[in-house]
Amino acid sequence: MTIRPFRLLVLCISLLIPAALCAVVLFLAGYAGQAISFNGLHFLWDETWNLGDLYSDPVTVNGYTLPMGAEYGVLAFIVGTLSSSGLAILIAVPLSVGAAIFLAEAVPVLESRARQKLSWLPPIRPVLAMLVELVAVVPSVVFGLWGIAVLVPFIGHYISPTGNGYGLLATAIVLALMITPIIASTLYDALLQVPKENRESAFALGSTHFEVVSKAMMPMVRSTLAGGIVLALGRALGETMAVLMVSGGGLNMLPTSLFSPISTIASFIVSQLDSAESDPTSMSVKALAEIAFVLFVITLAVNIAAKLLSSGALNVRSRKA
Amino acid sequence: MKLTKLLRNGAAALAIATAAGFAAPAHAATVSLVETGSSLLYPLFNLWVASYTTAHTDVSITTTSTGSGAGIAQSIQGLVQIGASDAYLSDAIVKAHPDMMSIPLGISSQMINYNLPGITNLRLSGPVLAGIYTGKITNWNDPAIAALNPGVTLPNHVIVPIHRIDGSGDTFIFSQYLAFSDANWASTEHFGTSISWPAVTGGIGANGNPGMVTALKNNPYGIAYIGISFADQVKAANLGEAELLNKAGKFVLPTAKTISAAAQSVASTTPADERISMVFAPGADAYPIVNYEYAIVKADQPDAATAKAIREFLSWCVQGGNVPTYLDKVHFMALPDAVKTLSVAQINKIK
Repeated sequence: MTIRPFRLLVLCISLLIPAALCAVVLFLAGYAGQAISFNGLHFLWDETWNLGDLYSDPVTVNGYTLPMGAEYGVLAFIVGTLSSSGLAILIAVPLSVGAAIFLAEAVPVLESRARQKLSWLPPIRPVLAMLVELVAVVPSVVFGLWGIAVLVPFIGHYISPTGNGYGLLATAIVLALMITPIIASTLYDALLQVPKENRESAFALGSTHFEVVSKAMMPMVRSTLAGGIVLALGRALGETMAVLMVSGGGLNMLPTSLFSPISTIASFIVSQLDSAESDPTSMSVKALAEIAFVLFVITLAVNIAAKLLSSGALNVRSRKA
Repeated sequence: MKLTKLLRNGAAALAIATAAGFAAPAHAATVSLVETGSSLLYPLFNLWVASYTTAHTDVSITTTSTGSGAGIAQSIQGLVQIGASDAYLSDAIVKAHPDMMSIPLGISSQMINYNLPGITNLRLSGPVLAGIYTGKITNWNDPAIAALNPGVTLPNHVIVPIHRIDGSGDTFIFSQYLAFSDANWASTEHFGTSISWPAVTGGIGANGNPGMVTALKNNPYGIAYIGISFADQVKAANLGEAELLNKAGKFVLPTAKTISAAAQSVASTTPADERISMVFAPGADAYPIVNYEYAIVKADQPDAATAKAIREFLSWCVQGGNVPTYLDKVHFMALPDAVKTLSVAQINKIK
């Protein structure tokens, strides 16, 4: 057998990324190990999170040393994460599908005479498409600032019955704005890739423009759309700073309305880490690592589900066909 | 072969760049110190370091703002030489790391602010605040608040209690005020830089002191605790400042007089390791939410030059630098003379 240095090199490089991922997971699981075995499974459905009294002497419970009164339950954060990201997707998908279809199909084209008169105008479609893509690279903290300065007071004054603008709705809207361009630009690119023949055949069969888009083009880009949504969901689930600024930081309670304060896993880890670091037993940091592990599992599950969905493995109709 | 050459060249280039960066020194050796921690102390350290290093070119000091918990953790691990913290080290940490010291550098305090249209003279007490933050007192015209405010027409409106989401020295001293003045809070919530805030309908969390100011501004009928360094922003936002009930039974606002009264009353009882709370201090005029801002430093440093540099810098901070020129900009107060002596004694242990 001959050794092929190039192939070997490429193989090593390609293994680096999964190796790094495994290392992170192993580290998280290992570091959180003590917390995982102390908390048991009810970690997942307890609502109360309490770092305990970090200034009194640590106590020993079931053989584990931890601060007095410490109690770790993450249900509120799991619910906060899933509800805010889910709501954000609900808002973002129609917006971004609309934007992508508009860009690909419905951008007004000037008649040639008007075009000549307005030759100083830049071409509309590429400029709009670029603008949408630009929004995708705006740092999240900018969205957070906009949220706290504009969105939160707006919700407080005009929408919320209690007058409080911080909470689930504000978080979902900020996240939705952040992820809309991700979905829109992926979908826009895919729509441009739809073969001209498909589109024109549909027209030839007498379809309206709406039918062409909905029946001839959208089915072809379904898996790309799913992929875009997963990418977007990944960003929404992991968003930290912007969420911290507008979520209202709900603790020890589940959201009961759109205006309830919430905490997401990512934002909660950031907000608690500093206090956890002054815990002499280090159980607090380990419990935070355990939540990080939960976030990792959620993200993984979302990705796998989306892969299955888009590959059609779960789609009964396409299997029959 | 090639790689080592490359590395060597790189190192040489780096050395030249470093030397160029810190031009002046006649002494060959420059000691670099790193400070990290409390975001409240960060602006003060920046003022101090700028002045100090112009006069002492043989030291370079990097300041970073991370959070009191990070200041404590990183100074214990030896990652930084000076940790900055709004709270002193706990007994458990000192027991585990006996060479860690808490050295006061200045005195800060905290306001209780409210957003009540038309009301500018609200009075509050620890037990009432504890009631508000645990959801037992939910309306502004609750009899418990009315009893403290005779003659004030309180609105019949739900209270919006606002707390810090992030770990914070402000949460530490606020929860201490509640714990020291209300037995019920002491037994259920304790005190600390993060509190497991009881679920209060309508209550919200905000990030950082700037977030607290914005949240209070956005929420009429809200109440919040805000570090005194943000007094100017609070004033600009037109928010009220509550008079608080102190240990002597008097209502006081945080002023130079009431804060130094608290400082003076604790100065004589401050122990040699200076780990003491100034919250709810005795004294007729003492403001109840006042605290020492600490440098968290390891007594045993890896080498003599570093130890000397830390000693000299911190000594300057608590003496030459402990003057209104620097402190006023962040609304801090200078340490009482007795406490300066204690701090210097601790600083001299850095070897």
